[in-house]
Amino acid sequence: MAKVESKRGALSEERLRDFLREMLLIRHVEEKVEERFRAGELPGFLHVAIGQEAVAVGVCQAMEDGDVFASTHRAHAHTLARGTHPNELMAELYGKIEGCSHGYGGSMHLYDVERGNLGANAVVGGGLPAITGAALAFKLRGETRVSVAFFGDGATNIGTFHEALNLASLWKVPAVFVLENNHWAESTPAKQQLPISDLEKRAVAYGMHSTKVDGQDVEVVFKAARRALDYARSGKGPVFLVCETYRLVGHFVGDAQVYRPKGELAELRETQDPITKLRERLGIPDDEFEAMDAEALEVAEGAVAFAKAGTDPKPEDALKNVYA
Amino acid sequence: MADQVILPRLGQGMESGTIVRWLKSEGDEVQKGEPLFELDTDKVTQEVEADVGGVLLKILVDEGEVPVGTPVAFLGEKGEDLPEVEAAAPTPVEAETEPAAVSAGTDPEQPERVAGPPSGSVPTDGRIKASPLARRIARERGIDLAALTGTGPEGRIVAEDVERADVGGAPKAPARAAATGEVERVELTSLRRTVARRMTEAWAAPAFQIVMSADMTRAQELRARLVERHPDERPTVTDVLTKVCAAALMRHREVNALYAGDAIELHPSANVGIAVATDRGLLVPVISGCELKTVAEIAVARADLVARSREGKLQASDLEGGTFTISNLGMYGVEQFVAVLNPPQAAILAVGAIEDRPVARDGGVVARPMMTLTLTCDHRTIDGATAADFLRTVKEFLEEPGLAL
Amino acid sequence: MPELTYREAVRDALSRAMREDDDVFIMGEDIAEMGGSMGVTQGMLAEFGPDRVRNTPISEMALVGAGIGAAMQGMRPIVEIMYEDFTTLAMEQIVNQAAKHRYMSGGQVKVPLTIRTQGGAGWSPGAQHAQQVEAWFVHVPGLKVVFASTPSDVRGLLWSSIYDDNPVLFFEHRMLYPIKEEVADELEPVPLGQARVHREGEDVTVIATGRLVHESLAAAAEAEKEGVSVEVVDPRTLQPLDEEALVSSVKKTNRCVVAHEAVVRGGYGAEVAAVVQHQAFDWLDAPIERVGSKFTPIPFAPVMENFVVPDAVDVLEAIRKTVERTGG
Repeated sequence: MAKVESKRGALSEERLRDFLREMLLIRHVEEKVEERFRAGELPGFLHVAIGQEAVAVGVCQAMEDGDVFASTHRAHAHTLARGTHPNELMAELYGKIEGCSHGYGGSMHLYDVERGNLGANAVVGGGLPAITGAALAFKLRGETRVSVAFFGDGATNIGTFHEALNLASLWKVPAVFVLENNHWAESTPAKQQLPISDLEKRAVAYGMHSTKVDGQDVEVVFKAARRALDYARSGKGPVFLVCETYRLVGHFVGDAQVYRPKGELAELRETQDPITKLRERLGIPDDEFEAMDAEALEVAEGAVAFAKAGTDPKPEDALKNVYA
Repeated sequence: MADQVILPRLGQGMESGTIVRWLKSEGDEVQKGEPLFELDTDKVTQEVEADVGGVLLKILVDEGEVPVGTPVAFLGEKGEDLPEVEAAAPTPVEAETEPAAVSAGTDPEQPERVAGPPSGSVPTDGRIKASPLARRIARERGIDLAALTGTGPEGRIVAEDVERADVGGAPKAPARAAATGEVERVELTSLRRTVARRMTEAWAAPAFQIVMSADMTRAQELRARLVERHPDERPTVTDVLTKVCAAALMRHREVNALYAGDAIELHPSANVGIAVATDRGLLVPVISGCELKTVAEIAVARADLVARSREGKLQASDLEGGTFTISNLGMYGVEQFVAVLNPPQAAILAVGAIEDRPVARDGGVVARPMMTLTLTCDHRTIDGATAADFLRTVKEFLEEPGLAL
Repeated sequence: MPELTYREAVRDALSRAMREDDDVFIMGEDIAEMGGSMGVTQGMLAEFGPDRVRNTPISEMALVGAGIGAAMQGMRPIVEIMYEDFTTLAMEQIVNQAAKHRYMSGGQVKVPLTIRTQGGAGWSPGAQHAQQVEAWFVHVPGLKVVFASTPSDVRGLLWSSIYDDNPVLFFEHRMLYPIKEEVADELEPVPLGQARVHREGEDVTVIATGRLVHESLAAAAEAEKEGVSVEVVDPRTLQPLDEEALVSSVKKTNRCVVAHEAVVRGGYGAEVAAVVQHQAFDWLDAPIERVGSKFTPIPFAPVMENFVVPDAVDVLEAIRKTVERTGG
């Protein structure tokens, strides 16, 4: 492990600035999504990842070409962080054929197979067993690829979580299970749904290697993710990676969050914003930051324009793609 | 007030008669006792005389079969008003050159068309219980469900009940007495009388016949494949032959012709008549436009016409317009025969059974399914070379169906 | 021509596929050393090794989900769910994931997964080991459903299911495992979506699946003695359904019986009856009869189980009903 670290070393400032740009882009896209939803332009319902950008960027940037991942209902950040263009994401939310799922999936079913994105999942824990399966395929074929699952603390209660981790550990498959612990399962706080407070302990039940990090520090996340991926890739077995993070918005867009203690949100926004944290760490002056910010905003606005100008599928297109 | 002329009862037990033709036209002066029209009953054809004198103001029934007592004309003074009369729609029978399609019920000795009294099939709410299949058959054959008894569960009318009702109406030939050693005299039905008249006409034509045999191997293969593709229609070899003849007639237009006395009429479309043997006699319903129909479509048309011929439900239009006729006695084991012309058509094709016969091929003898084709032609319309060319085309098309494309 | 049992025929299809194709592997509970609770995979561990003949813990969700994940990566896993009652434990993965991935992704992914399972009453297995549930899966767009009734069919259809690029629910019937049939030397794939006429007849069409195919053939033989000529057709694939074959048979005979072991209410036979009624309406001379289990969970006591579960006698009764005459 030490050898690997010295090879890569600490992240360069340049790389970190890239991470900052990436997080700003995600933030602006998500804010645009909220804005456009409130304007009544987006069908269905959505979940944005504001506040959780560092986990997405840290883990997704650590993945290598050929690695695959499955996400949750809160998938925009992962999708963007792994390289899907904001235009395609936004077009999907508008239900256009230029969308990454061609209008068939929407916010909770974003797929981008070329970039290893095996799909966001509306069923809590629904994507986890398939990640075990993908890792099994890599192992059987002798490929040095890793599969990654994102999920929240709420998912650590459901059957598929336990079965998937159990089996992955039993078969020692190259998978990384990334827990984004934002301490809320929709409107249910941690203490109402979790019998233990240290979720890393879940891994002990499966004999699985585990790590826990501060999910708001993208550099720390990146390094931990790298180590986890290397571990899995080397054939030592799956890894349970816990990222302590915060949801700086409601569960879904439009969620009034009546269940959240007053003042908590304001305080978190002050102290736990991953973008602010990285900016401060890098000491970026106002004018540079504003330029980065403006650039990200421009891309996000461009995505909305692209999506709005997109093509609606024909009604009969609904009959396609049921079977291969 | 004008006088009605009604169809008279000429004999005991006569229920209806057929007006064959009028001997006077509308507007003619008629003396009392003068013959007005020819009436055909099962037993005899005779002239009917006018009961009163006057001008024949209107003919209500031009020809066809009507019940006794039906008003058929008005006699009176010129310009007189005619009373309202509910015109009896005559059962359409023979046009001058077509054989008759006789409907059921002409013979009083025959059973009623509709079997059984109306009974328990009709529940109190007025709805008739009948299976979808029974309803369809009833609809297609014009049978009234209300008159039937159902033998299905809870009195439901099923297909068999409808079929049974339909069969009951077919009139049979007059019953034959058991052979006693005496000469038996069987009177001609009006249909047979018509057939006799037409066949006699045909003898007036100078006719000749030419004969060829066709190797039916490919035609049989084609038929088998068509049956696979169209299991509902089940085309027969005759259907294939009909299509082949239609194609050949379009190549030899001078054979698709009618003798018109002072001219020959070349027809644009091949309307092929199929000779059908029925209990009552020979009928030749016509499938029109055969050159445009697929074999499967011809099969459907043929099945329908044959069924209705046997049920006595042909319309006059089914018997009109033929330009060519095919007669097939193959199913009776006949190897070859000469058909009588169907005037004014130029030709009629007689075919026999398809049987394996030894034939010479490439210097050897092999067995092949052969069918003999005999074309009878009216020499006033076509000559030998034309007929031979046509028949050779038919033979070639049967032996290599692709050539008809 | 070799004779194979239904069980051996399944094993034959699995083994041949695994010999030809490294991407094919099987997973399930007790399938390795034990050779499967029904003995289907006996001998396969020895031939292919534990990587490709994988025992799993009792976790149907993960089992099916792992199959989904591997399939999405281009492998062709065949997972076994020991009893079809237990498909319930994996329903989420089957219905929400496997069936919908291709569609939700706009055609980007394929899930060429085969899920084999079996069931069947008649040996007092009790209610939780005896249900027939194929109807549930016919109701899910994105899934294919197969139910073979003979050794040659099960072999040919399993092969086609493995090589179909869609998730296939492959139903086997416990009581059919020992039946024997002469099969071709070479495996002849049977295409999905194609029915098979087992017996031709003129008066009634019996559309039957699984064990009831054989019961229907027995009933047909009896009916013959009563002067009723019965045609027996096995759809073999329930989804996609060979509507044309079924409808043209009923158009020929004008009467129809649908027979399956599953409960009548909401069973697969209801769908078949609706299709037949719709397309052959004017050809029906009697209402369509349905034969299936009575509306109860399967009881334990043999006397009660026999009462609930259908057999040849029930099919014969249904045949008789379609040709019944009370008046005349």
